[in-house]
Amino acid sequence: MKKQSNNKLAIKVSHVTKNFNVYYDKANTLKERMIFFNRNQKEVRKVLNDINLEISKGETVALIGVNGSGKSTLLKLMTKIIYPNSGNIKIHGKLTSLLELGAGFHPDFSGRENIYFNASIFGLTKAQIDKRLDDIIAFSELGDYIDNPIRTYSSGMYMRLAFAVAINVDADILLIDEVLAVGDQHFQEKCLNKMKELKKEGKTMVFVSHSMDAVKFLCDRAIWLYEGQIREDGSTEKVVSDYLKVCS
Amino acid sequence: MSLVQELYHYREFLKTSIRKEFRGKYKKSFLGVLWSFINPLLQLLVYALVFPFIMRVKVENYTMFLIVALIPWTFFNSTVCQSTSTIIASSGIIKKVYFPRAILPISNVTSNFINFLISCIIIIIALFISGMGLGASIIYLPIVMFLQYVFSLAISFILSSVTVYIRDLEYFVNVLMMLWFYLTPIVYEVSMIPEKFRMILNLNPMVHIITAYRDILYYQKAPDLKAIGILFVICFILLFVGYHIFHKCEKRFAEEL
Repeated sequence: MKKQSNNKLAIKVSHVTKNFNVYYDKANTLKERMIFFNRNQKEVRKVLNDINLEISKGETVALIGVNGSGKSTLLKLMTKIIYPNSGNIKIHGKLTSLLELGAGFHPDFSGRENIYFNASIFGLTKAQIDKRLDDIIAFSELGDYIDNPIRTYSSGMYMRLAFAVAINVDADILLIDEVLAVGDQHFQEKCLNKMKELKKEGKTMVFVSHSMDAVKFLCDRAIWLYEGQIREDGSTEKVVSDYLKVCS
Repeated sequence: MSLVQELYHYREFLKTSIRKEFRGKYKKSFLGVLWSFINPLLQLLVYALVFPFIMRVKVENYTMFLIVALIPWTFFNSTVCQSTSTIIASSGIIKKVYFPRAILPISNVTSNFINFLISCIIIIIALFISGMGLGASIIYLPIVMFLQYVFSLAISFILSSVTVYIRDLEYFVNVLMMLWFYLTPIVYEVSMIPEKFRMILNLNPMVHIITAYRDILYYQKAPDLKAIGILFVICFILLFVGYHIFHKCEKRFAEEL
């Protein structure tokens, strides 16, 4: 019975609180710690305060809010890059995060080799990468450049390759943080369409963006974070219009 | 147990990061992987000149006596010295993506281990040139290598994670390794040490590892099996403790880096 109910949930966040220590002047070495023991004053800042959240399988959820409201922190907690001070997060299914693109790219290696480095960080095996290689290269639109070293790429090409890998990882849950800010109009649209496609395939997505058009295009549900707490949670239309009212 | 599962799942990443570390080390240098031969050979040359001729150490076939201990030590030394920077050097990916962090120290030790296996060719060639050849005792060699791997991994777990919090460790370790070199019977032998100090010396696991290498390759006899047995237990306890320290520290890596 219990398993049944878990099957529908993709992400369950219960009572999560996260503090960051903000050091005024951080003592990193032992010498500094001993000599300036009073220097290590820190301020504990509560970034997330008792967040409760349930995201079902197949849902596409947008996290919106002003800078510093804790959106990215929440995503980082979900991927286990950082851990909460209290509360817990349960993930059901394979999760991939597109927090920052191009993790593990090595400038001296070719685009093709870097696909392997990058995809392996996401936990893919060689056989799985081999199978996706053509899709990734096609999506990146790099053509013959794929065998050139990455340091010769323009920033747009770099971004396209990184996004192409991340989107083809084939996860059940995708966390996407403001990665569409780069790339030209054509590629942005292509990415959005690809995500829409993934949504149709029944993937769960959590999407952080300041572009309300993208949010409306993609998401059914929106969550508005304000000063580390959930201010509003509901249909995209309503939450976005309330949010825009306050912003302007 | 879940660590083993996760490592299996991320095996491709483990492989690529070992390969990257191994190839990346010499990528920009003119002689490339040849340096893994040249480096220990040059070091050997220095010690083989200093100790018999200047310090007047009287050991038969001193160069061979030295080589069978120095090359395993080089493996240990470079692993430990690099371990302090493994996590810090990968801060970029640690802050960006999740993966089992234990992969980083494991690939550090493993890439150095592969390097060590290549340098073992030097030992074997030297053994044949000097006319000593290989004895039946060689069957014990993989056990000793394995123990050294486990011991290095344990140290690597501890140092790589603690350095994130105390950055001085990196410099401290460099000095400590120099001291450790002389506290281990590499340029000398345990029997050259006065009886009363041997007890203290015996507390150093590297003493037993290096002595075992020398027994197997230089004296070509079975190593002290009792010592190997105790070493086995200690290495695994250390690995367990080391991993737990690492695990405690790893949760805040992304914030501390």
